[in-house]
Amino acid sequence: MNRRVREFCERFGIPAEVFERLATLEEQETVFVGTPEAMSFDAVRPMRRGIRLARVYPYSVKPTTFGMQVLGAQASRNRIDLSDEQAKLLINGGSLNVDTGVANGFVLLRWRGFVVGVGFYKRPVLKSQIPRFRAVE
Amino acid sequence: MLSRRFPKEFVERYSQFIPDFDAFLNAMQRPLRRTFRVNTHKATREQVLELMADLHPEPLPWFELGFSLSDNGNSPGEGTRPRSDATNASRMCPQREDARYSPHFPSLGKRIEHFVGLIYVQEAASMAPPLVLRPQPGERVLDIAAAPGSKTTEMSAMMQNTGLIVSNDPSPTRVRGLIGNVDRAGCLNVVVCRMDGASLGRAIAGTCDRVLVDAPCSSEGTIRKSAQALDHWSVPAIERFPSIQKRLILAGYHALKPGGVMVYSTCTVAPEENESVVMYLLTRHPEAEVCEAELPGLVMRPGLREWGRELFSEAVGRCRRILPQDNDTEPFFIAKIRKGDSSPELSPFRREGEQSEGEEEAGRKTRRG
Repeated sequence: MNRRVREFCERFGIPAEVFERLATLEEQETVFVGTPEAMSFDAVRPMRRGIRLARVYPYSVKPTTFGMQVLGAQASRNRIDLSDEQAKLLINGGSLNVDTGVANGFVLLRWRGFVVGVGFYKRPVLKSQIPRFRAVE
Repeated sequence: MLSRRFPKEFVERYSQFIPDFDAFLNAMQRPLRRTFRVNTHKATREQVLELMADLHPEPLPWFELGFSLSDNGNSPGEGTRPRSDATNASRMCPQREDARYSPHFPSLGKRIEHFVGLIYVQEAASMAPPLVLRPQPGERVLDIAAAPGSKTTEMSAMMQNTGLIVSNDPSPTRVRGLIGNVDRAGCLNVVVCRMDGASLGRAIAGTCDRVLVDAPCSSEGTIRKSAQALDHWSVPAIERFPSIQKRLILAGYHALKPGGVMVYSTCTVAPEENESVVMYLLTRHPEAEVCEAELPGLVMRPGLREWGRELFSEAVGRCRRILPQDNDTEPFFIAKIRKGDSSPELSPFRREGEQSEGEEEAGRKTRRG
C-alpha cells in the first residue's frame, strides 16, 4: 500500500487487519481498495475496480468520503462527532467552529456513530471535505 | 371506467392472460409505495430501524432487509392525497402524477441515512431477482445490465463484500450513476465495466458462478412510478427489445460455469420480452434447466405456456411473474436457469445471437401455424 495512505490510516487508528483481506491499487493519482479478486480482475479493462480510497497529490494524500465511510468505521482516533444539524451543514459543504481535542489535519466526521466523510480541522475551524453530490435536508 | 387511462391495445393484449385483470389495472393506477433496503455493508437492520423510526417503516414479507413506508411515509395526522385528486392534477400537469413529485413523497434520497449509504432506495419487486439468484460469499458473479446498481449493491451485501461482481452497463451516462451507487454503498467486491453485454459475456465465458441478466425492457412496470410511461406505451416500442434481450440472455448463459445459475428478469409483462426470450435460450441450449424460483412471502404466478401463435415448453411454466395486485409492487418477470454440465463451449469465432440454419429451423418448430 502507498506509504502515505498507510500514514493516514494510522492517523485515524484504522487497524492494519482491515486491509488483510483487501488489496489496493494506485492508478492515475488515485488509490483504490477492494477485494483481491476485484483488484486483479483483468479479463477485460474495467472502468473501475473497488472504490476510491484516496487521492494522491505531490505533497499530500486526501482520503475520500466513500472510502472512509467504509473503512473509517473501525477508526479509533481523530474523529469528530456531529449533531444532526452539524452533519447536514457539513454534508452540504459548510464549515463549523468547534473546539475539540483532535489534532489539526484531516478528521473523520461521524454522525450517530457512522462515518459521514472527511473534514479538515484547523482549530477551531472544521471545514467539510465532502464533495457536494446532492443536498441533504 | 378503470381502463380508460390505458390504451385499448394494452387492455386487449393483457386481459388475455393476466388473471384478475381489473385488480391488475387498479393496482397499476395506484402510486407505488416507497421502499428501501438496508445496506448491511454499513449498518444493521436494527440500527437503520432506529434511525428511521419517524417514517414507521414496515418490513416486506419476503425480505427481512426490505421495508416499505406505511401511509406513503406521511407523519401521523398527515393524510394521503386521494387518488382522484392526483389523477385530476396529472391531467393539468402530467408530471405531477409521478410519485416522485408528490408533495407527500418522503425524500429518502435527501436523508443523511441515504447519503451515508445505510439505505438504498429500491422498488420492492426489484429486490427479488438477487434473492432468487442467491449469490454466495466468495463467488464470481456477473451483472450484465447493471445500472443504476440496485441489484449489484444488493448482491454485494449478500456476498458480504467478498469475491467479485462484474457489474456492466454500456451506457456512459448510466454507468456514472452505477459507479456513484457502488461507491455510496461501499461495495469493495465490484468492478464496473462499460461494454456491450454480449462482448463481455464472450470475454469471460465459462467463468461465472452466477449471472444476473436484468434486461433492458419496455418497462411497463414503471407505469406505477410515472404515468408518462403509459404515454410512451405501444406494441412497436415493445418489439424493439427482444433482440437485445436474446443477445443478453445468451451472453449471460455463456458467461456461466457449467452448473452455474442465471436469473433473467425484466420489469415488464410483455411475453415477447419474457417467456419468448427464455424459450429462445432453451431452443439454443436444450441442456439449460429452468428451476423453480420461490420466495416465501412473495406471491408469484407461473410463466405463460403460450402467447399468440407461440407455444412454450413446460419448463417455461416454471418462470415466475410478479403481478402488482398480489404484493403491491411493480410487475416483474423472473426466470432462474441452471447451465447444464454438457453445455457446449462458446466458439470465439462465432458471435452470440447468430443462429445457424439448423437452429433457426428449431426455433420455427416451437411456433404454431
